Amino acid sequence: MNGAGKKSLFSRRGDMFTVVVISIAFVVLVVIVQLISGIVSGNVEYPSFISPLNILNILMQVAGTGILVMGMTAIMIAGGIDLSVGMLVSMIGIFVAKSIKDWGIDVVPAIILAILIAVAVEAIMGFIISRLNVESFIITLGGMIAFKGIALLICRSQEVTLNQNLEFFKTNLIEGAKTADGLSLMLPIYVIVFFVITAIFWFVLKYTKFGRRVYAVGSNPQAAYLSGINVKRIRLLTYVFNGLCAGIAGVLILARVNVGTISLGQNLEIDVIAAAVIGGVAMSGGKGSPMGSFIGVILMGAITNAMNIMRIQSEWQYFVKGLIIIIAVAGGALSAQISARRQLKRIQEP
Amino acid sequence: MQQPIFWLRNISKTFPGVRALSHIDFDLYPGEIHCICGENGAGKSTLIKIISGAYQPDAGGTIEFEGKACSLTPHSAMELGIQTIYQEHTVFPHLTVTENIFAGLEMARGGVINRREMRAKTEEVLAYLHCDFGPDDNVGQLPSGQKKMVEIAKALVFQRKVVILDEPTASFSVSEIDMLLDVVKKVASTGLAVVYISHHLDEVFRIADRVTVLRDGEKIITCPIGEIDEPQLIRYMVGRDASAFYSREYFEPGEVVLEARNLTGNGVKDVSFTVRRREIVGFAGMVGSGRSELMTLLMGGAHRESGELLIFGKPAHIKSPADAIRHKMCYITEDRQHTGLFLKHSIARNTIVANLVNTKEKVISPRVDIRVADDYIKKLGIKARDARMPVMNLSGGNQQKVVLAKWFHTDGEIFIFDEPTRGIDVGAKQEIYQVMMDLLRQNKAVIMVSSDMPEVISMSDRVFVMKDGRVQGEIHRADISEENILQYSIGGSKV
Repeated sequence: MNGAGKKSLFSRRGDMFTVVVISIAFVVLVVIVQLISGIVSGNVEYPSFISPLNILNILMQVAGTGILVMGMTAIMIAGGIDLSVGMLVSMIGIFVAKSIKDWGIDVVPAIILAILIAVAVEAIMGFIISRLNVESFIITLGGMIAFKGIALLICRSQEVTLNQNLEFFKTNLIEGAKTADGLSLMLPIYVIVFFVITAIFWFVLKYTKFGRRVYAVGSNPQAAYLSGINVKRIRLLTYVFNGLCAGIAGVLILARVNVGTISLGQNLEIDVIAAAVIGGVAMSGGKGSPMGSFIGVILMGAITNAMNIMRIQSEWQYFVKGLIIIIAVAGGALSAQISARRQLKRIQEP
Repeated sequence: MQQPIFWLRNISKTFPGVRALSHIDFDLYPGEIHCICGENGAGKSTLIKIISGAYQPDAGGTIEFEGKACSLTPHSAMELGIQTIYQEHTVFPHLTVTENIFAGLEMARGGVINRREMRAKTEEVLAYLHCDFGPDDNVGQLPSGQKKMVEIAKALVFQRKVVILDEPTASFSVSEIDMLLDVVKKVASTGLAVVYISHHLDEVFRIADRVTVLRDGEKIITCPIGEIDEPQLIRYMVGRDASAFYSREYFEPGEVVLEARNLTGNGVKDVSFTVRRREIVGFAGMVGSGRSELMTLLMGGAHRESGELLIFGKPAHIKSPADAIRHKMCYITEDRQHTGLFLKHSIARNTIVANLVNTKEKVISPRVDIRVADDYIKKLGIKARDARMPVMNLSGGNQQKVVLAKWFHTDGEIFIFDEPTRGIDVGAKQEIYQVMMDLLRQNKAVIMVSSDMPEVISMSDRVFVMKDGRVQGEIHRADISEENILQYSIGGSKV
């Protein structure tokens, strides 16, 4: 009874099954490796990988990317993609830095303005993609290149260093909390922002009319249209929401780094798409969930983190990350096929 | 007597569960235009696919080409000189006329293409056919009639022996049809054998030398065109077992719920009709006669150029399917996989999706969806493990029921069924008919588009027959017969 219940629980959350399994496997693997190396060197201790300090570290590293992953998840479920988010983050970061440092704009108006700009440019791209029904890949590729140009023009290809003007976002919410060996723990506000945005996307996509429609549009736009869904508006809205995410992420990433530079968002779109795909979002649309993507982005962060802890050179990190993406997607497809076959069998034997 | 260039003897073709052709004999002489007539599903397409090598016939039949027995593949058919020109265009729109004709068969010397010679050949053939376009024109910019001529010109350039034309004049204007028929005659006069398939009997009588009639996969007759007239040809095309028909209950029709006045747009021209409660209004006609286009127009899926639509007596401004759903309309499309269902999604998701237009709640729990879907699973007898199962994993008949559930959940009053029973087995068919009768009992109205003749005849209270985007005639229950419907849908002379 118990076993059967568990099985159906997993098949119900088919989208997330693979990423959960891979995450657990990865954590177990790293912990075992750490324990064994501890035994070998005769210095057994609690595995640092799963210490509170390190877990908070991972969260801090992925928070910015994670916010972008939420917007990307909505776009991809609706059947689109956005390659421009990385450069948009750079552009927003540089814009905010420049506004505060050189243009004499106050912090709050600068941030609000930046987020509005991000929403506006995504809305323009979303409008073109949805109205003209053109490939989102190409339009956002164009956006990516254009944003890079604008970003470099704003900063004249130079770095803009802030005087810790955005310190607020790094406010430690657990000030004073310390580990056993006296290191202080950090839980900055921007990690909480990431959690809140994840929760909002999870709720909206799962519990609202809009959410249902996003899935329907991605799964079969023709049928969605004939079922009374305004396909163009839904597509456009996913880009608008993504603009909101990109604006917020741009500000928070800048706050963390404190320097407005083009490298803030360089190649970020690749990590964002990879995290969503690992989390079970289908490139073809209609499938995926913010929770899966949430786990996906943390897994990506954890991989980098674990390799740093184990002092594995960065070249290997690329290789392993790529391998895990391939395993996640191939494994997801395989488990979907197996569960489909099982369901078919169950129907055939009444 | 001349030798036939092409001779099929005792050809049968069986698909799983269906015999598409049984024991067909068919011969073809050089220089003749041989027309094949028959209703939808009579086996015309299967026959030409056998001639063009796309299908292999069942064992037992023989195919002779120029007196030699052979078995055909698409490649060997082409080598023998058989060219098939399909209904849809198979041209390359971005290439010129010359490039299209020689695509894949370029003339070359030592690997270098000989443009001048290819162009000269093309020019010669175009001049012979009196085409008013040149070898360098871009094919994508030619009107559809001339695109077809590019394909015919290809047959002449390569000196093919047999040309098969499948419904070449679908969506042509009158002058384009005249032009095409002239070209076909000219091509045949060079000694090419032409197989010509058309739903338009007037075209058949204008160009055919001989005509073959197919019905339900059997050959009824082959005869010279002079020995037959139109009513007789139609009589050969119809005539079916009584067992193919269903008997249904009839109800007293109620008030008019939908009235179309001179609807025009999306290829539909000046269509007027009414639909009342407790009746099934059938739309018959050949494939491509504008029936599905009319339904798309009713549902707001295409722009209405002129005309009026009244629903429950009030003018309805339907600009999108969402508006149509608000006006209590439901559209069960003909292609459930592509336009009806979200295959990857659960039964529950599919069930609630159309009613999102009507729901007032901002927040909906997936649990409620499942409860709703469970209800329909019970009511409609959908065979599934539970409401969370993806519809991908359901059988065709059960998928169709999920489509029905989706529309029942919108509380619609006017149900449009487009080819409701295509591709489902007899048992599931009966169930769908039962569902339609239940709808009538619940005081709803049904519009049914169908190419299945027995279905139209036995299920409709009234039938509107369409041709070329127009309603050719309305037939009332007592007068519905295959002859009547065919007369309107393919008869050239009478309107």
